[in-house]
Amino acid sequence: MERTGTDGAIVFENLTKAFGEIEAVRNVSLVIPRGQILGYLGPNGAGKTTTVKMATGMLAPTGGRAIIEGYDIAADPLEAKSRIGVVPETGALYTSLTPNEYLSLVARLYHLDRDEAARKAGTFLELFGIADAADRLMNTFSRGMKQKVLISGALIHNPSVLFLDEPLSGLDANTALVLKELLRELASQGKTIFYCSHVLEVVEKVCDRVVILNKGEIIADGDIDELKDLTHQGSLEDVFSNLTSPGDLDEIVRAFTESVTGTAGE
Amino acid sequence: MRPRSPGPGTARGEGTFDREQFKALLIASIKLDLRSSRLSHGRRSKFPPLVAAFITYIVMGTLLAVALVSTADPFLFSLLTLSAAMFMTALLVIMEYSSVVVHPDDFDVLAHRPVSSRTYFWTKIANLAFYVTATSFSLSIPAAVVGGITFDPGVGFGAIYLVVALVACQTTAALVVLIYSVALRVFNYEKFTRAITYVHSLSTLVIVLGYVLLPRVLAEDVTVLSLDRGPWVYGAPPAWFAGAIELATSAGGGGQTAILTLLAAGSAVALIGGAMNTISLDYSRRIAELATTSAKAAEVAGAPRRSFARLGIALCRTDEERAGFELMRRYMTRDRKLRARIYPAYGLPAAVYIYGLITGGLGDPFVRRQIEGNALPAQQLLGFYSVLITLFFATALSQSDQWQASWIFYAAPTRSRAAIVTGARKLIIWRYLAPFYAVLFVLLAFVMPPAKAALYVLMVFLLAMTAFALLSMASAYLPLSQALEKTRQARQIGLVMLLGVAMGLMAAVLEILKVIPAAGFVVFPVLAVLAILAEIALRARLRRRLAGEEFAG
Repeated sequence: MERTGTDGAIVFENLTKAFGEIEAVRNVSLVIPRGQILGYLGPNGAGKTTTVKMATGMLAPTGGRAIIEGYDIAADPLEAKSRIGVVPETGALYTSLTPNEYLSLVARLYHLDRDEAARKAGTFLELFGIADAADRLMNTFSRGMKQKVLISGALIHNPSVLFLDEPLSGLDANTALVLKELLRELASQGKTIFYCSHVLEVVEKVCDRVVILNKGEIIADGDIDELKDLTHQGSLEDVFSNLTSPGDLDEIVRAFTESVTGTAGE
Repeated sequence: MRPRSPGPGTARGEGTFDREQFKALLIASIKLDLRSSRLSHGRRSKFPPLVAAFITYIVMGTLLAVALVSTADPFLFSLLTLSAAMFMTALLVIMEYSSVVVHPDDFDVLAHRPVSSRTYFWTKIANLAFYVTATSFSLSIPAAVVGGITFDPGVGFGAIYLVVALVACQTTAALVVLIYSVALRVFNYEKFTRAITYVHSLSTLVIVLGYVLLPRVLAEDVTVLSLDRGPWVYGAPPAWFAGAIELATSAGGGGQTAILTLLAAGSAVALIGGAMNTISLDYSRRIAELATTSAKAAEVAGAPRRSFARLGIALCRTDEERAGFELMRRYMTRDRKLRARIYPAYGLPAAVYIYGLITGGLGDPFVRRQIEGNALPAQQLLGFYSVLITLFFATALSQSDQWQASWIFYAAPTRSRAAIVTGARKLIIWRYLAPFYAVLFVLLAFVMPPAKAALYVLMVFLLAMTAFALLSMASAYLPLSQALEKTRQARQIGLVMLLGVAMGLMAAVLEILKVIPAAGFVVFPVLAVLAILAEIALRARLRRRLAGEEFAG
């Protein structure tokens, strides 16, 4: 297999995706070193999920390329994909399987030893507090329970790169705390994490570096303190709002309130 | 300029086959097939849907085999039972194409995992083979048993029949897969996604004509359950496989039987081989994308026409009815999967109309005349299929892959959930059924006096309204509130095809009017009253059923 001689666990070179006339992602270039947690932020429709889909081989880019651990995801998909774990934005699961069956399927797709897979699956479900549901069909599960199974499925093969798209979605506060700590711990062991989220407090606490995307283009890239200094703002929330807000937020809130209460135009 | 990234089919490693992944994926696929995807109103159904469907098919196969056992000709027996099994198989694969050939969740679950196109493709082929084998086995086992009892060489006939029937049904499924994949390759993808529903209708038309109707046109006299084997047998695929059974059971037929067997073997090899070269994970992505309403698709679909919005305001008496009307209006315009489940229905009457033109069987329906040389009376068959299309609407109306969005009906302070269904049904009747019958009238006016055509279509319309109400009773759920489930729709259709009540009623009405034309003054009001009573009964059932129903998500 050919490895591309690039540094960084994740490398995007002019990554571009167009849907007809609409360019969802435009010339995104990034180098993410091993062990870094990168927060990938942007308003709705900025192109975050499209970027993740291209980086994980779910969408073919219309331009540029994504390289995972030295392997071009389009040219060497099997090599690249065997190194990544993904928690997608929409919790796609085969819900007519049980968690045990689903995790066993995932483990076999990565050629894990059966005993090791069963042990890991059992441990994950136990730690997530859903061991008693391990043999129940997932079509009755809550959103949070499904998210726990999805996260387990992303980690079971011990990937070196993780793509997480709103991973805390639906999780209770305790599990969210555990996951945040887990991500820090995994990064300290050299795993690279690409973290998409709208929850800026979490990104501020978890990520080493932040990239902000707007209308398909990178508009900011740096560690959180750098971005705060650059924009003269006190928090990541303020930085984000300053860079991406379509207008005066107070004005938007006032207009909304008037619309909800029916006092607009009075 | 940087070269464009290679597609999934050209990437390194995509041609490799991974036995362990194949086994894991196949086992998971079969488990998914055999399990219900959701609870129904808090209760698990007694049988898994696939098992319930198989039981239905066995009952259908038994009725057909028993009905045809009176023929003394094993070739004719094989031809007619194989026609039915192959037709049903094709219809099942067409109707539930996106869930039978590729699972809707495959792309999201598997596309980011290291599964090669070849491994995925073999998994899907094996899964499709399992599904079609199980289906065709259920459809064919009764004929094999009855044939084994009736014809020489006894058990040998039954065994050979079963093997050939399984191959015939696999070949049929492969034909459908091939039609789709060729369409996907010939047209560009955007055009294909827009045309997919019409491809469904066209497939139904081709299958009905090829497997059910044309053999009847070409046969000399099937009405008395015997036939003269002219050159027509070479153009009818079920006859090829019937020939193979004849050859294998040494029942005679000579050179013609050998040629038919060669045609059967050749078509099986060519079609199954061809189809096996078409499915890949990339293909799954394309099918999955058919369901997504992207900005592009919405732009292509355009806004639903305002005239129908105004119609909704005029037809619907309450806000709940208007909500149901609007919901269906927008989904029927934009949800390709929903349309893809319904539009095959239009292929059925279209096929019979063509058949009627070929045979000249669509003359004045209210005058007695001799049917010449073919078995199926086109007027009755056209009426039956024109009523049958309501079944497709009745079963598809309640299903969606976005069924969980129906929580809103339970959360909102609605005075009557039944009214939401009523509104949705009004949209179907006035936007889709009434125009269909208007077109039917225009088409029939070419082949019969316009006044007769109007009376005929009125009769069919009234019967269709009765059928639509009665069939909706079996599927009395809120619009788009049930999960899409393999065989759900096919199972419901299978059950109703057993009844044939509409066919019987239509034949009776036509016979009465032929003998006593003045009876029309009584018959039409009676049919109208029947339709009204069915509607009243449906609304009562909907009120009872939906009042205490809880959201199952």
